[in-house]
Amino acid sequence: MNIKTLVKFAAPALCLLGLSAAQAADSTDSNGIYAGAYLVQFHSTASDLSGPYTIPGLNAGLDNVTTAYFAYIRRLSEHVDVELAAGDPPTTKTIGQGPATVGSVPFNGQTLITAKWLSPTALLEYKFMSDSDALRPYVGVGINHTVFYDRQVTLAGQHVTGGPTSLSLTPSTGLAATLGLSYRVDSHWYAHASYSVSNIHTTASADTAGLIRKTHIDFGPRAVVLAVGYTF
Amino acid sequence: MKQWTRLTAATIVALVSLALAACSGGSNTGTATVATSNSHGTLIDTPPLRIASLNAADFAAELGASAAGTQLLQASGAPVCGVDFYYLQYWTLDGGQQPAPTTASGALMVPTGGAGCTGPRPIVLYAHGTTTDKSYNIANIADPTNPAYSESALIAAMYAAQGFIVVAPNYAGYDSSSLSYHPYLNANQQAGEMIDALTAARTALPKTFASATTDSGKLLLTGYSQGGYVALATMRALEAAHQSVTAAAPGSGPYALEAFGDLIFTGAVDLGSVVFAPLLTTSYQHAYGNIYSATTDIYSATYASGIDTLLPSTQSLSTIFTNNLLPQTALFDSTTPTINDLANASVPAPYQATLAAAMSVPTNPLFASGFGSPYLINNAYRINYVLDAASNPDNAFTPSWGLAATPPSINTFRKALYLNDLRQGPWLPSAPLLMCGGVNDPTVFFANSIIMGNYFAATAAADSINLPPNLITVLSVDPAGSNAPPTLLQQAFLGEEAAVSAAAGGGPAGQLAVIESYHGTLVPPLCAVAARGFFLQVLGGAG
Repeated sequence: MNIKTLVKFAAPALCLLGLSAAQAADSTDSNGIYAGAYLVQFHSTASDLSGPYTIPGLNAGLDNVTTAYFAYIRRLSEHVDVELAAGDPPTTKTIGQGPATVGSVPFNGQTLITAKWLSPTALLEYKFMSDSDALRPYVGVGINHTVFYDRQVTLAGQHVTGGPTSLSLTPSTGLAATLGLSYRVDSHWYAHASYSVSNIHTTASADTAGLIRKTHIDFGPRAVVLAVGYTF
Repeated sequence: MKQWTRLTAATIVALVSLALAACSGGSNTGTATVATSNSHGTLIDTPPLRIASLNAADFAAELGASAAGTQLLQASGAPVCGVDFYYLQYWTLDGGQQPAPTTASGALMVPTGGAGCTGPRPIVLYAHGTTTDKSYNIANIADPTNPAYSESALIAAMYAAQGFIVVAPNYAGYDSSSLSYHPYLNANQQAGEMIDALTAARTALPKTFASATTDSGKLLLTGYSQGGYVALATMRALEAAHQSVTAAAPGSGPYALEAFGDLIFTGAVDLGSVVFAPLLTTSYQHAYGNIYSATTDIYSATYASGIDTLLPSTQSLSTIFTNNLLPQTALFDSTTPTINDLANASVPAPYQATLAAAMSVPTNPLFASGFGSPYLINNAYRINYVLDAASNPDNAFTPSWGLAATPPSINTFRKALYLNDLRQGPWLPSAPLLMCGGVNDPTVFFANSIIMGNYFAATAAADSINLPPNLITVLSVDPAGSNAPPTLLQQAFLGEEAAVSAAAGGGPAGQLAVIESYHGTLVPPLCAVAARGFFLQVLGGAG
């Protein structure tokens, strides 16, 4: 789903709610800045690594990460917000899953790859109850775009692949959803707790001396966010 | 309420995406450096790809998991070193009239482990035998279904796991090579490619994970069948270039190509000649451009179409036979040339009957299996070749039908065999040479080793050179025809021969099984054992 598609879907949704951005901005504090912690658990599935000189059964998983969470929330109405969220790009470790060794080279449990990923998410959220309630649950749906950078194949990974290896990971755009609770501390300060799911998928290509090996990875990260925010 | 710049979600996402686009091209671990030069001997990827790394225990376990591997371990001894298997790609020259750069691939096997495995180690430069499989990759020990696996395991167990660095090219025209044909038994090309592979391997070695293992400067040449020929051609080329060779131990090679060809064309058809013929004619057509105007000049109409590009192939040999692209054994027409055919070829009358008889189907059942219909090579071409042999006799091969008085004739294929015959020189090896084989080899006749040995003796005698004792040794692992008590190696051969025969039920079926296994299965491991022992002896037992 690209940006145009996002706008295409978001605009009718706003109209259906009988709102416009201008109307929402005039109601109460329209803007909120949030910061907190992003606890990401990966529920990744990957196809076995394929390519020349690759034995069957080589797979990989991802280590969970915790990182900083930042968001800008734009109030559109009493019940509708738009959230733009991102984490401080975490370094994820890709861990070998499969046989204990490939030949005599350790594989299972070895950190093969590290990569940072930036994964901004835009969410359209519906808040239940009313502005007078301090505690308000909310749900949201949106879109996530992920890119990977600082990709490194570790020395252990190079021993598995057979030499210095360059790695590419295709960017991903997918759906995201969230379920959360917002607690108003005072007229400007809020606390948020939410549980989000995203659909991130990428094709990883490893190039070792011109030999290409590939795997397709579906991340499916589940993220718990604990954050505080200030509105104005 | 403060007024906030109204950024729509779409605008923010677009800006973030732009920022991320810059990130996605960020730092990354590199891969191998690709050579920009295409001069021959250049390593293409530095460092090369390591396909597999096995320690001594794991390699022993892998070999021990199969019956063939267990048998190999008995011959080679238990691995004392681990082995890293690297895949080399390098630039070499093709086999054309004006040699042009082409790429080829091969294996670098590096011993790893403790003392005797690392530090300065000798290099074994190994040349593999004939294969029709274009995907042949002797570096790929990771895949037991790879057609090169058994030969790869053999040299790894015999040499690399015993502390020798091994360099083994796949040859131009195979695996990932950019060449569309294979310069089969083209002495200059194949020797040149061996030296190029060695140069590339020496470049690669310090860049590998196993950089603690270094080149001691001792160079040992070996190979089997086609590879025996290539190893000896490489020795000739290196010594001609005044490059040091420590020792050479080729096995079962067709060194005396012209004499071997004469034997075959006069009826002693070897097993496998239906495969060797198209590989040779294609190679020499590229080298000299005059072997044929059309493939029908040589080949029968049944097989002529496409035979110039048939081998090496991505099809299995059995599929090639099933698809009727080659006959299984019938090299020649079972309706052999008649007196009339010879008369039409301008053979003088007194010789017509003699020649017709000489080209008739032999009584030897092995040789007779080389005749049939449909057949590969037509009678007219066979006559042309034999007339060349008659009018330009090979020094080593004096036919019983001596026809020196026949009209002079030139057969361009025979001329190509002559040019690539390893008796071209004159030359003598400077380093110790062991030529190993089996005296009853039905595929590459042992006569090749004997003729080559005789050639060296004659060359030395002509120049009044006293060859050092044991400089040149011709060894048969098969004691047949010898009155001497069999050596341990020969006893091992007899045991294996008996086992092959018994497994086939003995009797005629057992004899047939021995013939079929002789060149490709029975002799190679024993010649490898002989070669390794010879190398250790030359190196003074220090490895």
